[in-house]
This record gives sequence, C-alpha cells and structure tokens, in this order.
Amino acid sequence: MVVETTQAVEQIAHLMRRAGFGATRDELDALEAQGYDAVVAELINPSDTSAMPDDIIRRYHHEQSGMMGQINPGAYWLYKMISTKAPLVEKMALFWHSVFATGYPKITQGKVLSDQIRMFRRYGMSNFKTLLIELSRDPAMIVWLDNHDNHKGAINENYGRELLELFSMGVGNYSEEDIKEASRAFTGWTLGNTEYMALRGERDSIWPYGRIAWHFEYKPEDHDEGEKTFLGQTGNFNGEDIIDIICQQEATARFISRHLYDFFVAEEPPVPAWPYSQPRDEAAIQTLMDPYFDSGYEISAMLETLFTSDFFKNDEGIRFIRVKSPAELVASTLRLTGEFANRPRREILDRAMQMNYMGQTLNNPPSVEGWHQGMEWIDTGTLVERLNFATAQLGDVNKPGVRTMISRVASESDGVISSARLVDTCLDAMGVVAVSDDTREALETFAAKRGDLSVDADNVSDAAEEHIAQMFQMIGACHEFQRA
Amino acid sequence: MTTAQKTDFLKYSHSIGLSTMEGRGFYYPVDTTFDGGGKVYTVSRSLDGDNRGLRVTIYDADSNYYTTFGQYGEGDGEFVWPTAIARDSAGNTYVACEYLNRIACFDSAGNPLPSWGAAGSSDGELDGPSGLAVDADDNIYVVDHHNNRVQKFTAGGQFLRSFGSQGDGDGQLNLPWGIAIDGAGDIYIADWRNDRVQKFSADGEFIAVFGEAGRGDGQFHRPASVSVDGDGNIYVADWGNERVQVLDSEGNFVQCIRGEATDSKWADAFLAINIEEAAARAGANLEPDIEFFNDDPHEESSHIEKFFWAPTSIKLDGEGRVFVTESNRHRVQIFARA
Repeated sequence: MVVETTQAVEQIAHLMRRAGFGATRDELDALEAQGYDAVVAELINPSDTSAMPDDIIRRYHHEQSGMMGQINPGAYWLYKMISTKAPLVEKMALFWHSVFATGYPKITQGKVLSDQIRMFRRYGMSNFKTLLIELSRDPAMIVWLDNHDNHKGAINENYGRELLELFSMGVGNYSEEDIKEASRAFTGWTLGNTEYMALRGERDSIWPYGRIAWHFEYKPEDHDEGEKTFLGQTGNFNGEDIIDIICQQEATARFISRHLYDFFVAEEPPVPAWPYSQPRDEAAIQTLMDPYFDSGYEISAMLETLFTSDFFKNDEGIRFIRVKSPAELVASTLRLTGEFANRPRREILDRAMQMNYMGQTLNNPPSVEGWHQGMEWIDTGTLVERLNFATAQLGDVNKPGVRTMISRVASESDGVISSARLVDTCLDAMGVVAVSDDTREALETFAAKRGDLSVDADNVSDAAEEHIAQMFQMIGACHEFQRA
Repeated sequence: MTTAQKTDFLKYSHSIGLSTMEGRGFYYPVDTTFDGGGKVYTVSRSLDGDNRGLRVTIYDADSNYYTTFGQYGEGDGEFVWPTAIARDSAGNTYVACEYLNRIACFDSAGNPLPSWGAAGSSDGELDGPSGLAVDADDNIYVVDHHNNRVQKFTAGGQFLRSFGSQGDGDGQLNLPWGIAIDGAGDIYIADWRNDRVQKFSADGEFIAVFGEAGRGDGQFHRPASVSVDGDGNIYVADWGNERVQVLDSEGNFVQCIRGEATDSKWADAFLAINIEEAAARAGANLEPDIEFFNDDPHEESSHIEKFFWAPTSIKLDGEGRVFVTESNRHRVQIFARA
C-alpha cells in the first residue's frame, strides 16, 4: 500500500522546497487547501512577514548583529530562516547574497554585513532599479569594492566594473570606457567617518566601547560633475542615472533571468561561462525577461512568472536535482525538527557552525563571485558533515517536530506497519519526499531488516519511536533529502 | 500620569568601561552590584561562542580596577549565560546562569562555593534564572524567567516560596527579568514582555503596576531592570527603548535619559598608547546625522556611541548613584542626583 499524495500537494511541496525551506506535512495540508496559485501569491506578497522577534532573540543572544566577532550573524539569519512566515523573503536574501557576494575578511565588521542582508530582505523582491541603488549605497558593498577610494579625478573602477560584470549585465555587453564612465558617476558615494570606521577598524580590539555601525554618506564635493557617456547615452550622470541606463538593457533582463533560473529551477554553469554557453532552457529565460520589462523591472513579477510556469511547476524532471546549499539544508532540517520553535537556545550556535563545516559561512562567501553551487557543495568531507547533521537532528525523538512526524506515522497504523509501508509513511511525513526507485529499494531493504513495526498510535512506545526515527535518519541521508 | 519632566533629577557623572575579554574592562556586561565598602562588581556574559570574556570585574566608582573572578564553564564558580549578580551581608556573591539553570556562588574572596539550582518547573526548580536580589535576612529572590514566577530561597539554595504565573493580569508575569527590593521589603519586578513594572509585597501579594507599552514618557518597551531608592523613586532600564526612565513612588514620570557616555579613564589609557586609532577617533564625527530606515532606537544606538545600547541593568550604590550597565557597549554609565 502506498501513501496517497496528490499531484497538487507534490507541486506545492516542490514550490516550498525551492521558494522556501520546505514545509512540514501539516503545513502542506493547509497550503494544499489554499491552492498553488494562492500559495505563490502569498510567497511573493506575504500578508504575514513575522519571524522570531528581534527582542526575543536579543534577550538571550545579546548581540548577534556582528559588532564583534564573525560567527553570530549567521546564527541570527538561521533563526530568521527557520522561523519566518515569509520564507521567500529569506530565500531572496540568500539569492542576492550569492549574486552580490560580500565577505567578511575585507570588511571586518559583521554588523554592516548583517545590515546588507537586512536590505536584501526589504528590497529583494522589489524593483531591480531600487535594489541596485540601495546596493550602491550599502556601506559593506562600498568598502568591499573600494568605492570609498573612488574619487573625483582619481577613480577606482572596482565597483563600476563589478556592477556591470557581476551584478547586472555580464561580460561582453559593455566596454572598458563604460566602466570608467560608470565609476566617475559613483564618485562621492562613500561611508561616513571612513578613516575611523574602515581604514583603522580592522581589529575588534581598537574600539573602547565596541564597534560603531556604518552609514552611507554622499560627498558632493568629491563627485565628478562632468559629462559622461555611458552605453551610448551622454549626460552629467550620477550613480542613479547609470543604474537607470543599466536597467533599460536587454542584457540586464537576461542576466537576472538566468540567475533566477539557476537558483530556483535548475543549475546553469558558473557565471563566467555564460557568454560562451547557451542557457539550459532558452525559452524559459525569454519567458522571465518579458515580465521584467512589462512591469518596469519588478523582481516580484519575474518570480510570479517563474513559479507559475510549466518549466517550474510541472516539469517533474527538475525536482530533487538541486543540491541544497548548507544554509538550505540546515534551515530545512531545523524547520522539520522544530527545535527552536518556542524559544531561542544557545544550541543555535552549533547549528549555525554546521553550515560552516559544510562549506558555507554566511556573510563570508569565498569571493565576489559568491559560492559555486550545485554539486560543488559536495565533497567527501562536506558529504559526511551533511549526513551526520541531518541524521543527528532527525533521529532525536525529543525534538518537537520529530515527535510530530512520529505521531503522524503512528496514526497511519492499525497496530502494525509493514516495512514497505513505513518507508512510504515516513517519506510523506517528512514533507512529501519523492524518491527514485533505487533510493526506495535501499530504504525498503533497510526497513525490512527490522521487520514490521508494532505501534499503538495512542501510546507510541520508546522502541517504536526509535524504530520510526531510524527511518527518518535514513531518509535524511538520501540523495533526495539532500536536494530540493 | 505624565508630568513635566524634571530634567535635573539625575545628572550624568561619568562612564567606566572598556571592551576587553580579560582583566580590566568588560565584555558584554549584564549586571552590577556593590559590596557596601565602595567596590563595584560587574558580571560579563561575553559573546556567544567565545568562552573568554565571562567574569566578574571588581573596580570602584573612581575607575580603580582590582581584579576578576569567575569564568566560563559548568563547574562551581563557573557560568555560561550569566544574567544577574547579587551579594549578601556576609560578602558572598551570587551569579545567576540562565543556561545551566542554577546560581553560582562565591565567598567574599571570590573563591567558588557549591552552586545550587536545577532545571525544571517544580518548586525550587528553575527555567532561565534572570534576576537576583537579596533581602534584609539574606534570603535570595530569583526571577524564574521562563516559569514566569519569582522564587525565594535561603542563601544555601533551600526553596522557601514562589509567586507569580504566566499572563498579563495584575500580578501575572510574562518573561520577567530584573528585580529590586525596597527598604520596606516590597518587591519590584521588570515584567519584561508585558512592558511594565510590578510591585509586590514581600509575601508576593500584588500591590501596583507602573507603565504600559510604548515609547512615550512613562511607557516602556521590554524593561530589563528596576531599582528603588530610599524615597521610593523607581529607576527603570527601559531596554527595548534604549533609555533609562525615572518614576516617583506613585509611578509618575520624572525623567527620561537616552545616554550621555564620554570616554572612560580606561578608554583614555587605551587610546593614549594606540595613537593612530586615537587620531582617527578624534577626527570622526561620533554623532552623525543619519536618516534611519525605522524608528527602532536599537538601530540608532548602534550608530551613536554615547547613547545607551542594551541597558540590561540599573542599580543604585550606597550613595544613591545610578549605575547603568550596557551590554552592547561594554561600559557602565553613572548618574547622580543633581
């Protein structure tokens, strides 16, 4: 006997794995009642953006914004990912963090990196032009790409170059002269108290009362007011004008579309290969470019098109092929286990460190290119970390979410659950995980070794709990659970 | 209830502090107490994930530093998530740890004594001890944060009594934090998530409630700590509003202070030997005009150094001076009656 799941719930489970951090089986029941399109609409325009409140987090973790040290902002973000009612907001923050990758070693100020993520939460699904302006004003980005060294008469091209190459258009769509002219337009965009905040602030220990947060400052006296020619247009451009011109370009629409496809649908080659490789699905890229222009550069319009498209919604071939990033794996597992559902706990630090062990330190990507994703998350070391983490969490019968899943499995019983049926009920209870024939055979072989499970749904014995949790652990180690 | 603000009730005196992980200074300090002989004890919680920095620092109001005791760990004389510190008349020191759910104890020389307390919700058990006060008979009152109650113990940790329950009605509590006992033995609780201060008799009978949720005068947002002077004036560390408020004994608003920190002597000494950093600091505008994206004073305090940032404790010394411990700024701002 196979647990009955509908196509609708499988589609919604897929949507929640990609647009969020997965959904529990109980959540899927509620979402299925709303219908797929309504779920998409709520993800994109959430009516409830609540998450674990900051006052609650700060009560126990006095300072997680990163004023001192590097580790705590990742724990803070993890709280938000596992507790938010608006998971796409956090998912888009992760998306933009991978596109506009900004890292700790050059910034050495954790809060300004946290503030950048907060900016992604606010503008990540808004207008792309707004987002690029906010990015250009972001103090972490300014220091990361040296715009505080970009002066009238002595430009530093770093931000101007990456704005075009990595943040909007991609190589091959602009000239070296365009980079210089864009850089001139961004002169005077800097951060306040540059000398004290950035240049003298490499060490935590120089601050008598701890670090001070950074803020953007526009210095008109350092801005180049001369005429500039950029992508064929001429004028006395400031940074906003450059961004306006960038947003008008077809290359920009294509670049963002390919990034969204790569992150939400199926893996594309690394960005440096894009000028030389066709997209995996050219028609899909074109489909995403239309709402970009039709809406006047609204990211939310592109996302709505993406999530309701055939290539996302109905192509079963793309399900469970995308390797979860460490952040996605940890967040999706903790949403299942419910460990932090009712209060902050010191253990969040360990859970956040697990992401590091798996190769992803949030707020510290390896370079301005961000992380290489997909199969590059997997090596012999990180695979062991991933399996150990998932199995340790899912096998802990004291965790409230694990208990809920056990109850759900036990409730399917009429006294005895056959080993094959145990596989099906556990896959279903863990959020409608669909597995390949090979995976199923392996799981059934494992289950058969323990034989049928005797369980009283009203009074699940310790032995039965442990039996069921072992199956959760095995599924947590599967190819499909490790992917989305 | 609001009256004209008496801006001269408290005047800023000076600050003591320096961000250090050992020795002279503090690292995310959370609470302060006094020995009655002029020495001040401040306990540092440190940053999550860093086991250095946790300690009790002994100093005086003239910024003389003496020593430290206590450290991170789970043995006697050790703590993980310290929340509060108190001393009894014999000179013993008590530090509450909300992670280990127990009270670390030290003798007057700072040597460890057996800890007491255990996790749970039965009588005498603790779930997040968060505030400590010692009464005239050296009994220890512990704010039992997650159990939404106050428990009374002997100095040795024997359970005597408890009061309070979860809720927002009179006498009920929602994640209470700080505690004070006045000269008459009445008890004041910072009813943290109810945005108010409540007054109880020594027996735990509800007497009065002060304040309501908000950011205006006499309103609170997540008050962390409360103290009372001999005249009944009530001093509140209005943590979520990043400020201090003074109420009179009837609960009428007296004064609101946002913070006025200046460089401490310890900071001056540090900057005197770190010349380049001192020059950069001298050249910086530490009170920039910034357009914030929201009205959360937490954000403002992260940018303006002189403002209180995470004032977790407000305590009065024997001379009536007010010591405000600011966790995120690693310092104590001291105020005195004008």
